Amino acid sequence: MAFINQLQISDLAVGLFFLGLYGAMSQRNIIKTIMSVGIMDIGAITFFMMANYPEGAKPPISSTPVEYMADPVPQALMITAIVIGVSVIAMCLAMYMRVAYRYGTADWKILIRRLEK
Amino acid sequence: MLPLLPLHIVVVIPVIAGAAGYFLPRNAYHRLLFLVNVGIVVAAIAIFAEVRWGGEIVQYMAEWPRWIAIKLVADVYSAPLVLLTAVFFAGTFLFSTRAEYLDKTFLFLFVLLESALIGMFLSGDIFNIYVLVELGMIIIAILIMYKQDKQSVYDAMLYLMMNFIAMAFMLLGIGYLYRITGVLDLAALHERLPLLDDPRAVIVPYAMIMTAIAVKAALFPLFSWLPRAHGAPSAPAIVSAVLSGVQVKAGVYLLVRISATFSPVIDAAPFFMILGFITSVIGFLLAIAQKDIKLILAYHTVSQVGLIVMGLHLGSDVAFWGGMYHIINHALFKGLLFLTAGIIIEQYGTRSYAEIRGVLRHMPAIGIGTLAGVLGITGAPFFNGSISKYFIQQGLQGDLGGLGMLLINFGTTLSFVKYSLILFGKPNAPKPLTRDPWVAVISLLFGLACLAGGVLGGPTVALVYGPQYSAAGALGAQKLLTFFLTLAVAVATYFFVVKRIGGFLTMIRNFKFSFNQITVFMTLFFVGLLGYAWWFV
Repeated sequence: MAFINQLQISDLAVGLFFLGLYGAMSQRNIIKTIMSVGIMDIGAITFFMMANYPEGAKPPISSTPVEYMADPVPQALMITAIVIGVSVIAMCLAMYMRVAYRYGTADWKILIRRLEK
Repeated sequence: MLPLLPLHIVVVIPVIAGAAGYFLPRNAYHRLLFLVNVGIVVAAIAIFAEVRWGGEIVQYMAEWPRWIAIKLVADVYSAPLVLLTAVFFAGTFLFSTRAEYLDKTFLFLFVLLESALIGMFLSGDIFNIYVLVELGMIIIAILIMYKQDKQSVYDAMLYLMMNFIAMAFMLLGIGYLYRITGVLDLAALHERLPLLDDPRAVIVPYAMIMTAIAVKAALFPLFSWLPRAHGAPSAPAIVSAVLSGVQVKAGVYLLVRISATFSPVIDAAPFFMILGFITSVIGFLLAIAQKDIKLILAYHTVSQVGLIVMGLHLGSDVAFWGGMYHIINHALFKGLLFLTAGIIIEQYGTRSYAEIRGVLRHMPAIGIGTLAGVLGITGAPFFNGSISKYFIQQGLQGDLGGLGMLLINFGTTLSFVKYSLILFGKPNAPKPLTRDPWVAVISLLFGLACLAGGVLGGPTVALVYGPQYSAAGALGAQKLLTFFLTLAVAVATYFFVVKRIGGFLTMIRNFKFSFNQITVFMTLFFVGLLGYAWWFV
């Protein structure tokens, strides 16, 4: 089991991404697919955060000496990505409520059959 | 050279004007935004002229050093598209002066979409592109379901979730790229990628970013969001026109841009060429099966985008510029067709092509506009479609390529034989109400542009992009003969074949992929591109 100890956060993040992708492929429940898509997004964000992360680096706040600082670029960028992700998920959930009230189902397959009538 | 005006002006002005004027009453707000759009058209013309005759403009935001700053680039690819977007939005604002569904929120979102699109074209930084694409995606989802009737909320939800998965792919790909190169600037990536020890390290991020962009450009098998979004029963006409005219082109543009960035390491031109051809064929097959006039147009957009992608990746210069020219042409005629289709649907109160007759006699201006659009899209002589298709055809090698092009032309003509039936016959709708004169003016202007783009085809390409090609061959006897033969065969096929297989067409029409299947297709596309790149790098 030595390889488990060697796993880094970025490896786990990629795993999370594909786990989310699997969920989006396999789940018929709309809420579960929305959750899966959220997990994919979080996986990608975590991976980006850990890009070029030297062991033991400190957060890039003003008092940190420059040589210990983690790369500030991913952190600045990922704030944007997190905000976008949250708003898209919120919109998906709002739309889901509309669809669920209108067609009375939370299942993609049944939903398709009930459209067009 | 020093730019005449900073590039970011054209990106931020629509947002600022939209936010600052929001307190105005609706009509004044509409007028203000129209004036702002006219200003942007002027600015876009200035930028275009500067790029065309002075060379590309590069601007680093906030005076950060090169490769750290967010970069805006206007070059020979992006400047014409910025101009196209500006003209298009100004036209749609004029077109919709009296439309009732346009309240202030709608108008604000609409100008925000304009900003996002122009920003996407001008961006030289891959993360900036990501953010603007996401912004455009959210706005489009709201615009599709704006009237909230029929299944538009479902369409918008499917669109949003599918594109969000694609954007998660892109984000992971960008993260990977940043990890191995340490830059996000497209030009810097272009320089650093060949220096990597192991070029195969680029394959995974390449496949991820390209999967996202293929979703945006609606390539086979990832196009199923496009007809839902563009032909959504409840989406206003101007939204459909903008989506089909400009927004899909943003996907194609990104395909060209990002491919160019990765070109020193990975060249997937054959892959995208074949994919473009398949997309084109599947697109017109599905278009023939539709009954709803907006869906015919929407599936047809899939087909034409396939043709454009094919032309861009044929590997010959003439075909490349033909593809670039077809982007502009397609924006003109498809925008025109969607705008007129919106008016026709409003007037006749139905969307089924079988129940609409006699548009030409009933509403002459709209009818002539539609006819010009149809002639443009089928590549009739003297119309703009013929020129760009002629250029794309010149890049084809061998009989097989010629045959493929003939097949696409035949399919296009066939689906538009079906569409243009609505023009003729006895009008079956009440007398038209007094309409906004601008509707007719814009329809005729767009139609005229289609004609002008055909008559002056060669000079237009030279003016917009620079390379000089003769388009005289597009009017040669052989081309004319081919066109009329194709038309005759298409009419015959329509009346003797298509009309008799109604049951089969109904089956195709009612067949829909669920969200899970679409996600599986996306994963398969990713794996396929990964395998292709792995094999050839």
